[in-house]
Amino acid sequence: MTHEGPQLEQLTRRLTETPVDFLAEPRIGKNGLVQVDAVVADLLREFGGTPQVRELAAFAGFDAKKDRNRLATTLLLVWLLGDDWFRSAKTAPQAVLAVLGSAPAELAAQTAARHFVSDPDRREELVRVLLARLDLRPAGESAAQAQDRLTSISATERERFIAAARAAEERARAIRAALAKKAAEESADKYTRE
Amino acid sequence: MTDPEPTDEQRYPTLSADGRAMLTRLREHPRAPRYHNQSGNRLTAAEVEQVRAFENEVLTARLDWTLDSPPTWLPDFIAQCYREVPHYRAMGSAPRCLDEIPSVSRADFSADIAAFVPDTAPLDRLINFRTSGTSGHPLLIASHPVVAASYLAFHKRALRRFGVTLTAGRGDVGVVLLGLQRKCFTYVSVTPTMHEAGLAKINLHPDDWRDPTDRAAYLDDLQPEVIAGDPISFTELLTLPMTWKPRALLCTSMALLAGLRRQLEQRFECPVLDLYSMNEGGPIAVFDPALNGHVLLQNRLYVEILDENDRRMPPGVRGEITLTGGFNFCLPLLRYRTGDHASLDFSGPEPVLRDLSGRPPVRYRAADGTWLNNIEITHAFKDLLLPQWSLHQAADGSLTLRHAGGAHQDDAARSVLERLLGPLALHIQPLPAGGDKVIQYTSDLPDPHA
Repeated sequence: MTHEGPQLEQLTRRLTETPVDFLAEPRIGKNGLVQVDAVVADLLREFGGTPQVRELAAFAGFDAKKDRNRLATTLLLVWLLGDDWFRSAKTAPQAVLAVLGSAPAELAAQTAARHFVSDPDRREELVRVLLARLDLRPAGESAAQAQDRLTSISATERERFIAAARAAEERARAIRAALAKKAAEESADKYTRE
Repeated sequence: MTDPEPTDEQRYPTLSADGRAMLTRLREHPRAPRYHNQSGNRLTAAEVEQVRAFENEVLTARLDWTLDSPPTWLPDFIAQCYREVPHYRAMGSAPRCLDEIPSVSRADFSADIAAFVPDTAPLDRLINFRTSGTSGHPLLIASHPVVAASYLAFHKRALRRFGVTLTAGRGDVGVVLLGLQRKCFTYVSVTPTMHEAGLAKINLHPDDWRDPTDRAAYLDDLQPEVIAGDPISFTELLTLPMTWKPRALLCTSMALLAGLRRQLEQRFECPVLDLYSMNEGGPIAVFDPALNGHVLLQNRLYVEILDENDRRMPPGVRGEITLTGGFNFCLPLLRYRTGDHASLDFSGPEPVLRDLSGRPPVRYRAADGTWLNNIEITHAFKDLLLPQWSLHQAADGSLTLRHAGGAHQDDAARSVLERLLGPLALHIQPLPAGGDKVIQYTSDLPDPHA
């Protein structure tokens, strides 16, 4: 967070105004609308880059369960990076590619992409993560303040995520155990059996 | 921790003295079979009323959706699945429309059924239905006593189409479910939504009876209002000297050929309902000969016909039957591929599945090099009395037909296949009764149309 970046509010407001094209379904295999790899390629060109096919491979989805939320989050970051501030700051295309290659997977593992638009805390988290990965801090904040706030907002979410993941695992175990019980095996009356 | 055997209080929470008398009558009848298992309705008094209310809703509901105008409950249902079902929650936010949701199949359920059980499903009352199937993916379906009891609502809707309203009540036997297997889950129960009318699930296999002649005598004495079974057990029923005439036969599990249906109708002088039903979705449709198709039964089940790329097929085009919605609140379906194929027809007041057949289509190479779809063979076999059969074409073009209809039907079957496919080498073998489901149509030849 060496350099001062744009105002935090400028980017969180931009998130609330995300156009429908950036909220549309990522193309994954046979389903979805937006070719995220093509959108990323356009963005990199705007920053003066020459995107290579191998660099874009990670933005083509193959498995909805693994890729859908990550690519939806990628689209939101692309929309944020489209803010004039980043172009005027001459952000390096390699830095943009590095952010898009790592941050969405980490963020999407914990949060449904739509919450980065609808939930104020998640909006702030997305913006702060983006700035931090570009070695930027929100305008008007010291590096220490920015780091503290990012740690705090991310930790809260991480705790929620860990608790939810633990509860989900416990629930899945309970379902399997309930289905294996003698009472479940005896089943219940139906007028026909398949 | 030990897993205790369920008690009768858990099996029949609302059992009255009359209900208990019915259980005793079914179980201790002098000509009763050996019952191997125990089960029950498991419904609490409140749930009995809930199921009755559901029956009323189903009987009066209209299925007025089309492909252009999907049901109004669909958006909320999708949102609910993405909120409450772990498999979908892991994919992020709910998409705006069904088209954007990737389909799932039996293989997904088989890999981890827990991922498809919503957070809201009560685990203390969970029951399961097991299916072996023919696709290599054994399934354990999560369900609930209310879901099991709710099947009857759709049976009543189907029966109404044939002019039958069930009236069995206290002291009557409502239904006998038939099996014909070497090993079969058998038990007795009562149906509380029908004032504890009796329910018996029996195995017609002679080994389950003290004397095989007891089978007809037991059924004649019980006088069940409805008999449920599959083409194999119904074929066995035709051999028994039973004189009782039930009000309807409910046939599930396998394709029922028109010839066998007609023979059952003539013998028992009642409608024979060919139900398209599966553990994953319950009773989905019933065959109506007047419409020459299976009429959909569930008001909260949206049916699509998909190609292999999840594209929705227009009316009249065959593809895989894919289900969204359903009444099993322990396993909501979201674009669930059934493995069965049909086309949809919206020309009448209700959606109809046409040319329903299990498993993907298989084509057979005729002696003159032309190719024939398996549906043609199903149609041509319709007047035979084959309870179960399979047809395989080897790489050299030769055919093997295995069937459970008895050697006396070999000539008729041979004649049908020769008419359709020409003079190919044909081996006909018996298919033992009481076996498992079979994959009906298979081929070793690479299909040029696939």
